[in-house]
Amino acid sequence: MRTADGGRIAAARPRIVAALAARFRDLDLAEDAFSDAAAAALVAWRQQPARDPAAWLWRAAMRRAIDARRKAAVRDRAQHDLPQPEATPEEILIAAREPIPDERLRLIFVCCHPALAPESRAALTLKVVCGLSTERLARAFLVGAPAMLQRITRAKRKIQAAGVPFAIPEPSDWPERLDAVLSTLEVAYAQAFEDAALTDDAAPFAAEMLRLSGVLAEILPQEPEVLALAALVRFAEARRPARLDGCGVMVPLEDQDPALWRRDLIADGAVLLERAAELGRPGPRQVQAAIHAAHLSRAETGATPWIEITKLYDALLAVRADVVVQVNRAVSRGKVFGPGEGLSALAGLADEPRVRAWRPYHAARAQLCADADHYEAAIQALQAALRLSPPPAERRFLEQRMSEATKALGRSRPAR
Amino acid sequence: MLLIYEPESAYQGEAGERRLTEIVAKHMALAEELIAAGVQTGGAGLQGVDTATTVVTQGGRQTLHDGPFAETHEQLGGYYMIEVDDLDQALAIARRVPVAEGGKVEVRPLMREDG
Repeated sequence: MRTADGGRIAAARPRIVAALAARFRDLDLAEDAFSDAAAAALVAWRQQPARDPAAWLWRAAMRRAIDARRKAAVRDRAQHDLPQPEATPEEILIAAREPIPDERLRLIFVCCHPALAPESRAALTLKVVCGLSTERLARAFLVGAPAMLQRITRAKRKIQAAGVPFAIPEPSDWPERLDAVLSTLEVAYAQAFEDAALTDDAAPFAAEMLRLSGVLAEILPQEPEVLALAALVRFAEARRPARLDGCGVMVPLEDQDPALWRRDLIADGAVLLERAAELGRPGPRQVQAAIHAAHLSRAETGATPWIEITKLYDALLAVRADVVVQVNRAVSRGKVFGPGEGLSALAGLADEPRVRAWRPYHAARAQLCADADHYEAAIQALQAALRLSPPPAERRFLEQRMSEATKALGRSRPAR
Repeated sequence: MLLIYEPESAYQGEAGERRLTEIVAKHMALAEELIAAGVQTGGAGLQGVDTATTVVTQGGRQTLHDGPFAETHEQLGGYYMIEVDDLDQALAIARRVPVAEGGKVEVRPLMREDG
């Protein structure tokens, strides 16, 4: 349950943790000081609400961080005879009266450093920047809590020991580093959207992704791919209310009721995507966001513009030739040129083990086979998808399709 | 040049720490002896492999990997010792180290004297 105070604390968190991390160069210290301050706030604000909750938390967290640092220094001095820490509490209180410095971008660059493994980056960013718990991350990334804790601890240790700088990268490194940030957020969002999307756990997780992508778009308004990623997350989240039917069965995009889509998020996404286009530097995330926007245009026109979507997938394939794009492109070609064309676009992919282990491939194949009246092949593809342990809502959907295909097969047999 | 290879697990846990203290004392004694004999020109301990980052040069591109160089068919061909402020500066130099196609450069911090 998120109370009003809880919401204020969550909203203030990224900026304060980032400022503390920048000041003390220590992610654990920053996180711990903020949690202590948040716990104190929940008690103190019940007596007397804070006029400026962020400033209250910033002062409290700063005091706690300084305190922890001094205690550690005393411990160290006993062992190593180290000099005094540089700032006194008085100096810190003076500094804390100044506005909270905005170090969020630096913190995001630290957590998304390419010297960290990609799966660690996504988890670390959601943990440190958004404050998600290790348990929730473990569920979202489908690993055990101890494994997730170890992943995060190891990443933090590496940052400290290998000397990952708390800095905005040099202009020459910018493209690679920004790309690492964006792909980290994509990995994180894919978790929110696909695996956890259909459980109760997903709503707060997805809300954090909306917030984080929004923060990045706010800090980097001149980067079209950043704006496009924020647009993409909004377009995808706009559809969330339509993704389950009354019985808890997954509803695929083309069967969703557009009246259930969230107009506010669609409008926000459209503004972001338009601003990205105005910057005149195309990129893969802008194309992806445009594909989402095309699907959502059905809310206005009543029909999905499949020809436009096919062209966008052709453009996307030219810059990002991964299997996700290839499978989605095959589906759109099936809509425009008939299921046979879609199936031949899928044909070459089956040799890759990664594709065979990916449910959406089998689901797409099942749909194209059913559209082509190849019901036996459709049933086989659905069986393959069901063997890959889908989440409950998707399982029910696949089982529904299975019974439809089985009935259709029964009907088609006597005719032959 | 003498290269030291050991299982890191030997130094983990309480028994490992005792072992490390013993080994470090032996290293210091050896180094003292070698310096007195005028044969030692340098040397240092490295931090654990989980602090390593590897720059891979392949197909005209350089990518970073979290972790140490994993021995396959490449052999250790040389080393540079550099002193810089942070990992980004170290990586910028590591990228400039000329290597053949498929070559790898592992970046690893030295052990600090203050631990």
